[in-house]
Amino acid sequence: MRYILFIVSKLLLERKRQTIVSIAGVAIGVCALIVMSSLMFGFQKYFINQVIDLEPHISIKPKEYGDEKKIARMIDPDGLWDVMGSKPKEKDKIIGWRELINRIERRDDVMGLAPHLVVKGIIKYGIKEKPVTIIGIDPDLEPKASVIERFLEYKRLSSLKTNRDTLIIGRLVAKDLGIKDVGKKVLVMFPTGSTRILKIEDFFNSGITNIDNSRVYMNMRAVQGLMDRTDEVNEIAIKVKDVNQAERIASELQKTTEYHVESWQRAYINFLQIFKIQNTITYLIVLSILTVSAFGIFNIIMMTVLEKKRDIAILMAMGYTRKDVLSLFLTQGMIVGLCGALLGSLMGYGLQEYLSSVKLEVEGLIRTKGFMLDRSFSYYIYGFFFSMFFSFLASFYPSYRASKLDPVEIFRSA
Amino acid sequence: MHNLESPVIELINIKKSIREEEILKGISLKVCKGEFVAIMGASGSGKSSLLYIMGLLDRPTSGEVLFKGQRTDFQKGEELSKVRNESIGFVFQFHYLLPEFTLLENVMVPMLKRGTYVDEAKEKAYDLLSRLSLKGKENRKIYQISGGEMQRVAIARALANEPELFLADEPTGNLDSKNTQMVMDIFQDINATGKTIVMVTHDIQVAKRAKRIVEMKDGQVIGY
Repeated sequence: MRYILFIVSKLLLERKRQTIVSIAGVAIGVCALIVMSSLMFGFQKYFINQVIDLEPHISIKPKEYGDEKKIARMIDPDGLWDVMGSKPKEKDKIIGWRELINRIERRDDVMGLAPHLVVKGIIKYGIKEKPVTIIGIDPDLEPKASVIERFLEYKRLSSLKTNRDTLIIGRLVAKDLGIKDVGKKVLVMFPTGSTRILKIEDFFNSGITNIDNSRVYMNMRAVQGLMDRTDEVNEIAIKVKDVNQAERIASELQKTTEYHVESWQRAYINFLQIFKIQNTITYLIVLSILTVSAFGIFNIIMMTVLEKKRDIAILMAMGYTRKDVLSLFLTQGMIVGLCGALLGSLMGYGLQEYLSSVKLEVEGLIRTKGFMLDRSFSYYIYGFFFSMFFSFLASFYPSYRASKLDPVEIFRSA
Repeated sequence: MHNLESPVIELINIKKSIREEEILKGISLKVCKGEFVAIMGASGSGKSSLLYIMGLLDRPTSGEVLFKGQRTDFQKGEELSKVRNESIGFVFQFHYLLPEFTLLENVMVPMLKRGTYVDEAKEKAYDLLSRLSLKGKENRKIYQISGGEMQRVAIARALANEPELFLADEPTGNLDSKNTQMVMDIFQDINATGKTIVMVTHDIQVAKRAKRIVEMKDGQVIGY
């Protein structure tokens, strides 16, 4: 192998410009893979982590609609019918929720549960109004099912317990109403027509726009009282030990209850599908860059093979085997790939450093003050693996062609 | 004239066809250790094809090639490559030096393939170039030296692994008379050290410097 490296190093160093161009091509591909993966997955992981921390891993709710289709099919399986609409749920409550909680709590894979009463309402502050989702929570039980306190700006979850005339509102709800500080009083209107003036005790800021823009937390007993729904809940939030098992646990729970059981994966399926599409697009772009750089390597090695036919023939005359010739050109491609991977990794690291230092107000699906980067080392490994793989693919055919050259034919044609 | 007891290479009834045209028609030839044989013939007589077969670069269509008494037709490509690397040195009409390499590195290439360490190969290459009057030019590139010097570098490279058989295909075909004389003097010096040389040429003056002349015509040996 020493003699192969000796010749290869000379060939690469003597053709500096070509070598640099092909290394740069691979480096750009690797850098793109690292940075784009890091940006894309950074954003996605941030979003998913926030959702996992904040939202129930599994929620149990009353069914939205009846089973009209199922019933109709049972009555007239062959009939030409369709259910164009159905009556909304009549009983928006979970009957026997305490027993249900006690039963689920016994499972080893469940960490904690908390009951909710979720209703729609309108908040009014001065002349400004905003429709919101009011979540009635039990301040003692809620931390078992979510890490809500982490998202509170003043960490005053317990104030909901001590004073029932208080509420915690989403940061963007406050912004829309023109509220800057806690302590302000707002008028809350409930679907029953009842109204109540409540004091804002804290702001809730998860960074996820559609949550911060619509959510309000209140004491569950207070909501029950105002809605005239004593001891009623319409959601049970469950926190599990392994979030990746939520879907499996949800389907197991579904078999034991008539209520609708939904995992966080199913609740956020639209987002997860979009992420999948995003990832596919990202990898297609990276793949295109790597393919272009692979063509660069292919061209350079193919040109070298065509230009160096006589040199290959003389090497064979000197006792170099076909395998040596194959290794000679394949090694060239692999060295280009290796240097490209190393340079690309350095460039990727530098770009990650730069991006992580950029202060930028990002407001969309999530709100952050900069790029959310996932700086996992695995992207460097993927970059290295892909560049080596593409370099191998790109250099194999020309190397194979070189190894199949007939030295006698070449000498004769000279 | 030649030593019949230790043939370095022996060809028995060699035939070679290329695209259905028979270019070697049953040639038998024995070259013994220490011989200096010139194969003469006009263009197209098959002398180069014969040399490639003797150098184990090409296989005959039929017939046997024995290298140091061993049949080569059953040997694998890799085994023949090893024999070429260790026991055969080639010099061609065109020097075929590697343009990216210095003179020194060109001479080192076959030694490195054999497994010689870089330092040792370097030392040996310096010595060979010095013996061929190229001292001081070792680190020059090919384009920085003359045609005669290039051919001497090619000879140094062929001698690098101290081969037993030295094959030259029109080694002076591209040289002026002064350089031709110089190259032939070198060949005679090499032969004087006991090395076996087979040289293909169409120049009678060059062939006369050999100890034995084999004449070829239309793929056949017509005279010794």
